[in-house]
Amino acid sequence: MAQNTRQSFLSGGDGSSVKLAWPIIFLGLVAPAFAAEDAARQDGFDWLTKMANASRRLNYSGTFVYQHSDRIETSRIVHFVNPAGGEFEKLETLDGPAREVIRTNDQVTCYLPDAKTVTIEKRSTRRFPVQLPEQLSGVADNYSVSITGMDRVAGYDCQVIVLEPKDKLRYGHQFCAETRSGLPLRARTLSEKNQLLESFAFTELKLGGNFSRDQVRSRYAAKSRDWKVDHSALVLSDVPADTGWTLTRQPAGFRKLTELKRSISGRTVMVSHIVYSDGLAAVSVFIEPLPKTRPAQSLSHQGAVNIYVRPVADHMVTVVGETPAATVMQIANSLEFRGGRGK
Amino acid sequence: MDKISQWMDGELGGHETREQLTRVKQDAELHHCWGLFHLIGDVMRGERALSQEFEQRVAARLASEPAVLAPRHRVVSHFATYALSAAASVSAAALVGWLAFFNNPLVPQPELTQAPTTPAPAIVPSEQLASVPSDGKMNEYLIAHQEFSPSTEIQGLAPYIRGVSSSRQVEGR
Repeated sequence: MAQNTRQSFLSGGDGSSVKLAWPIIFLGLVAPAFAAEDAARQDGFDWLTKMANASRRLNYSGTFVYQHSDRIETSRIVHFVNPAGGEFEKLETLDGPAREVIRTNDQVTCYLPDAKTVTIEKRSTRRFPVQLPEQLSGVADNYSVSITGMDRVAGYDCQVIVLEPKDKLRYGHQFCAETRSGLPLRARTLSEKNQLLESFAFTELKLGGNFSRDQVRSRYAAKSRDWKVDHSALVLSDVPADTGWTLTRQPAGFRKLTELKRSISGRTVMVSHIVYSDGLAAVSVFIEPLPKTRPAQSLSHQGAVNIYVRPVADHMVTVVGETPAATVMQIANSLEFRGGRGK
Repeated sequence: MDKISQWMDGELGGHETREQLTRVKQDAELHHCWGLFHLIGDVMRGERALSQEFEQRVAARLASEPAVLAPRHRVVSHFATYALSAAASVSAAALVGWLAFFNNPLVPQPELTQAPTTPAPAIVPSEQLASVPSDGKMNEYLIAHQEFSPSTEIQGLAPYIRGVSSSRQVEGR
C-alpha cells in the first residue's frame, strides 16, 4: 500500500487521495472470501486456541533457543502442572551469565548467582488466556490466518500456522504447533519486509511426564541462603482504574484491553497502565510522574518489542509493544489527558 | 539544497529537474537530504510510516524512475502547501525537532491541557530518533506489559523471558 502511495507521489499523483482509495478497493476485492478460505481460517483459529491451552496445561521440559537481532540465547525450561492444583515452571539460561527463574503460580523467584541476589516477586502471569471468540475476532480483522503445511522441530512433527498482518501497524507471526498436543514448538515474528525479528524454538523437548517438585526446584536453593533477598516487588498491586488518559488517534484494529493503576518495582508511586490489543499484539502505555531528571525521548527495542519513552508535561510516558515502532509511537504521540479523575 | 526543495515543490523545468536528479544520484549528502525531505513531507501529511528503510526505498525508486520527467513538476505542486521551500533552508536537524513537537497539529497537545501554567519545553531531538537495543532498564515495563500480551500467551512462553534476556545482555557486557 505504502509503495503505491510513494510511487504515486514520486510520479506526481495525488498521494493523499490514493492513500484513502486503495484500502477500500483492496478490501472490496478481498471481502468475498471463499468457503474454503473460511474453513482454513477456522482451522487456523482452532490451532491458536490449542496452542495457548497446550502450553498452560501440559507437562514438558526442553531446551529452547531465543533469537533476536543477531543474538542467540539458549535456555532450559521445565513446566509442570500439579494435578492437585498449581503451575510450576523453571527457566534457566544456558549461556552467558547464569539466571534462574522459578515460577510457582503467581510467585516468581529469580536467582542471580553473580550478584548473589534473589528477587521474589508477585506476578499476575497469564492473565489473558485466549478468550474466544472475542479475541479471535480481533485476530480475524487484523490478520489473514492460514495453515500452510507441516514442518519438524526438535524431532516432532508440527503444523505451520501463519498470521499475515493486513496492514503495517502490526507484525506477521508464524507458529509451528506440535501435531498432537498443539504445544508451540516454534514462534517467529516477522517484519513488514518478512525479516525475522524474533524467534523462539525448541531444539530438544520431552512431552508429558509426571509431576515432580524436584524438577522445578532451584539448583541454588541451598546455596542462596545467605544471598541478598529482594522482596520489594512482592507486594506489587494493581487496581482497575480510570486513569484519565486517552488516545486521540487509536491505531486501526486496536481496542483497549484494560486500564489500571499498578505498582512497578523500583517506583514509589502507582503507575497508570493502559493496554491496547488487536487480538494478538498488545501495546502497553505507562504513565507516571517525571523522574528528577527529565528523560529524553528515546526509542529502543528488544526482539519484536519496541519501547518508546516520551516526556509529556510533568509526566513520563513509556509505551511498550510487540508492534512496529510506528504503532508504538503513534500511540505515545496521541496520548491525551482528558482531565477529571486522578491521574 | 535550494534547488532540491524547488524541485520537490515542482518549480523546476524539465532540464533543471534532470540536472538535480543527477546531482542527487551522485552526492551522498544530497541524497540523504532528499530522503529526509520526503520523510518530512510524509510526516506532515500524516503518513507516519517512519520506516528505517525509507531512504533505501526512495533510492531504489529513484534508480528505477524513468528518465521522462517533464510532466511531473506540475502535479507535485501540492507539496508547496506545506511551505517546504522555507523549511528546506532551515537545518534539517532543527526541522525534524520542530516536526516532533508539532507531530500532530490537529490534536491539542497534552502539554497544554495538562499544565497551562508551566508549558513544557519542546522536545527537540538533535537527529531523527534511532532505535537502540534495550539495555535492561526497561525490564519492569517489559514484564508488566507481557502479562497482558496475547501473543506471548499464545507462544506459551513465560512472560519474563524477554526480561531475562535483556538483563543478561547488561550483565554480559
